Amino acid sequence: MKGAFPPCQVACPLHTDIRGYIAAIARLEFDKAYAIAREPNPLIHVCSRVCTHPCEEKCRRGEVDEPVAIWALKRFVADVVRGKRRFATRNSQFATRVAIVGSGPCGLAAAHDLARMGYQVTIFEAHSEPGGMLTIGIPRYRLPREVIEVDIKQILDLGVELKTNTPIGEEITLSDLKERGYDAIFISTGAHKSRRLGIEGEALAFFGVEFLREINLGRQVEIGRRVLVIGGGNVAIDSARSALRLGAEEVKIIYRRSRAEMPAGEEEVEEAESEGVEFHFLATPTKIISEDGKVVGMECIRMRLGPPDESGRRRPIPIEGSEFTIEGDTIIIAIGQTPDLSFIRPEDGIEITTRGTIAVDPITLATSAQGIFAGGDVITGPGSVVEAISFGKKAAISIDAYLRGETPSFEEPVELEALSQKTLARIKRIGREEVPKLQKPLGFEEVKLGYSVDMAVRASHRCLTCGAGAIIESEKCASCLTCVRVCPYEVPIVNGKGAVIDASQCQACGICACECPSKAITIGFDGFEAILARIEALFEDSPKANPEPLIVGFCCLYCAYADGVDVEKVRSQLPANVKIIDVLCTGKVDSLFLLKAFELGADGVFVAGCLEGDCHNISGNIWARKRVEHVKEILDEIGLSGERLQMYNIPSSEWWKVIEIAKEMVESGKISKR
Amino acid sequence: MIIAERKPIDEIKAMIADCRRIMIIGCGTCVTVCFAGGEKEVGTLSSAIRMARRLGGKPIEIIEKTVQRQCEWEYIEPLAGEIEGVEAVLSLGCGIGVQALAERFPQKTFLPGVNTSFLGLPLEQGVWSERCQACGNCILDKTGGICPISRCSKSLLNGPCGGSQNGKCEIDPKIDCAWQLIYERLKALGKLDFLLEIQPPKDWSTGRHGGPRKIVREDLIL
Repeated sequence: MKGAFPPCQVACPLHTDIRGYIAAIARLEFDKAYAIAREPNPLIHVCSRVCTHPCEEKCRRGEVDEPVAIWALKRFVADVVRGKRRFATRNSQFATRVAIVGSGPCGLAAAHDLARMGYQVTIFEAHSEPGGMLTIGIPRYRLPREVIEVDIKQILDLGVELKTNTPIGEEITLSDLKERGYDAIFISTGAHKSRRLGIEGEALAFFGVEFLREINLGRQVEIGRRVLVIGGGNVAIDSARSALRLGAEEVKIIYRRSRAEMPAGEEEVEEAESEGVEFHFLATPTKIISEDGKVVGMECIRMRLGPPDESGRRRPIPIEGSEFTIEGDTIIIAIGQTPDLSFIRPEDGIEITTRGTIAVDPITLATSAQGIFAGGDVITGPGSVVEAISFGKKAAISIDAYLRGETPSFEEPVELEALSQKTLARIKRIGREEVPKLQKPLGFEEVKLGYSVDMAVRASHRCLTCGAGAIIESEKCASCLTCVRVCPYEVPIVNGKGAVIDASQCQACGICACECPSKAITIGFDGFEAILARIEALFEDSPKANPEPLIVGFCCLYCAYADGVDVEKVRSQLPANVKIIDVLCTGKVDSLFLLKAFELGADGVFVAGCLEGDCHNISGNIWARKRVEHVKEILDEIGLSGERLQMYNIPSSEWWKVIEIAKEMVESGKISKR
Repeated sequence: MIIAERKPIDEIKAMIADCRRIMIIGCGTCVTVCFAGGEKEVGTLSSAIRMARRLGGKPIEIIEKTVQRQCEWEYIEPLAGEIEGVEAVLSLGCGIGVQALAERFPQKTFLPGVNTSFLGLPLEQGVWSERCQACGNCILDKTGGICPISRCSKSLLNGPCGGSQNGKCEIDPKIDCAWQLIYERLKALGKLDFLLEIQPPKDWSTGRHGGPRKIVREDLIL
């Protein structure tokens, strides 16, 4: 991976081109957005529901106001194309066979990538259904079964063989797999064994993952009215929220540290709270109290936080003599999971760490046994879905290299530098839109709804397209200083070798690219060639026979979507002789585009942006106005009349006026059919 | 830097009236910086001419090119092949560029697309002002760094004429009186005594009056 990348992309364990797919949403190219987002991620639909989105934490928009709603946008692209598009096909096929043990996200990702490389892949799954924790761990109200099925179907469609109800270690051992002709084996069995508290009465409690598994497999789970959940991770939250859905009247989560140290996702915690789950921090159970074999409550001890431990979080320390009791009739212990490695036999030759995980080479994921690799939770302990997928993909590369007798190489992308205070201060603030939620009594239906098209496009317009700004062709640069003078963010400089535009700071407004007299500057997104191609395409399917004058409008998408106007409706009401070229800021409308539109046959052209002072890029619409004035003069000079070209500044809240403008241009009589 | 300005399109149209296929060549140096003849202007003018010709019912084909400097043989040499196929070449380079092209490709018609205006600088983005007349005998040391040859309408050498009014020139009240500027500058520098030295009549033979000029540096000749 060459160059510097946006922090979101670097933070994503799959290095998804987030900027790329968000830019595609911003331009209303949803299929393209899906293709970009799907490329590195065979479980895009799953991730659209349960990704821990480390990308958002690193989003540079977060320094301006709030991070871009990347996760919600991923869900949007997954939902708009769901089931409509088949993504992957395999190019070639080898006879080489690879066995994958465990069909969780890690195993599925490895299977997908290996199958695409051309290997014969068989997944062995102990349960009746594939998906691992996705299927039997995560509740359906967060990750509906049909969403998982979309991804799994695409993976199986590559020719991956799936053997369910086939646990390894009993009738078939790892060593047997080798004998059965598998040239490489990948272990991705996850971490499904609940940790124990080691307190009195623990046998009367449920354990988080088992509890969730029973519910997910559709089995009857009897719980009481008052449920106590121990733990602070996602399994604890999932258990608590599932208990509410099974009819519990009161659900309390007891966590030994404070809210800030909870490993569960913040959104999950907030949702649980809004559903009525109570949180009790800085306490841990010491005993489960029962009467006649039935749970009646728990004895707990209060904790205080000491110095940080090896996990970096502050260590909880019991406060002597602070014991108290808490009443409840059902207890669910969800304090973490470890891998269940009982399927590994000594003769398999696989080393185990002291932490109870499989020992692997950190780079190649190779275990101590020849041809056997392992990845995901089974080597790390419980991690996120996206991390599991990344291990699966890494394993695929490593296994491929092993089978070819090569050394695998992994490259980590370099991150762009931080935004300077100067740049930060100039970026327009745009609030983040909340994702709508289901307004219904609690059930196992999906809680979170997705963005509508308008919401998604608006949300995508908050992306700073970090690092996709101006690119200078230095051999063309005349060091004229124009870029230095026109940049509203004061990013370009000119040194002895010509202009230099710091990719970390450039906001891709396009003003310098349009003003550059040597055409030495292009921008990464919505650059000159891209917009020119759109203009040309527009005339390809515009029959010249239309008796009405042909009007081309260059309209800013930022302005159109900024204030809740139903843009699709506005478009549908435009007369047939009016064609719109969408641009992300009128500052990207080059004077050559205006001329080109006339050259190709437009009878009238208008540019529509927001009011001066409201521009997404400070002065984009001011530069657009200047260019319109200049081209008007040229049109007058060649006898075509500058009146045929107009600039309009419309408040975003009145974007529907575009319809009036277009009609007015024709009705004014100034524009006739040429 | 050489400052130029695009010619009116009507004038250009008249020059190429009989052509059906031309080339427009921009120059990547001075005329790019003054927005008269860089790659962007080549695109703008080509588009305008194509439209104008189509409006007049005589479409024209235009090949668009820009070279780094039209006034260097090496930079224009690669155009040789493509120039063959056009009826005329409109150069957006300064007068030097047009002549270099015509000298290198004598069989072809070269037309000027810009008026080479003066030697000057941009006062700000979009505003250029004259600063030098290439007189060949610089006296800026005596005049506080302000050139009376190029900035005084009469190129006077010993103070302003009677037409200097309120610091402005009688030719045009928008023009500063160069000698007023020189006086203010020397006063600020504490060098008003410079003005006591009478400048003899200037030897203009180093300028245009001595005929076409040429400089030879023997040490550099290959």
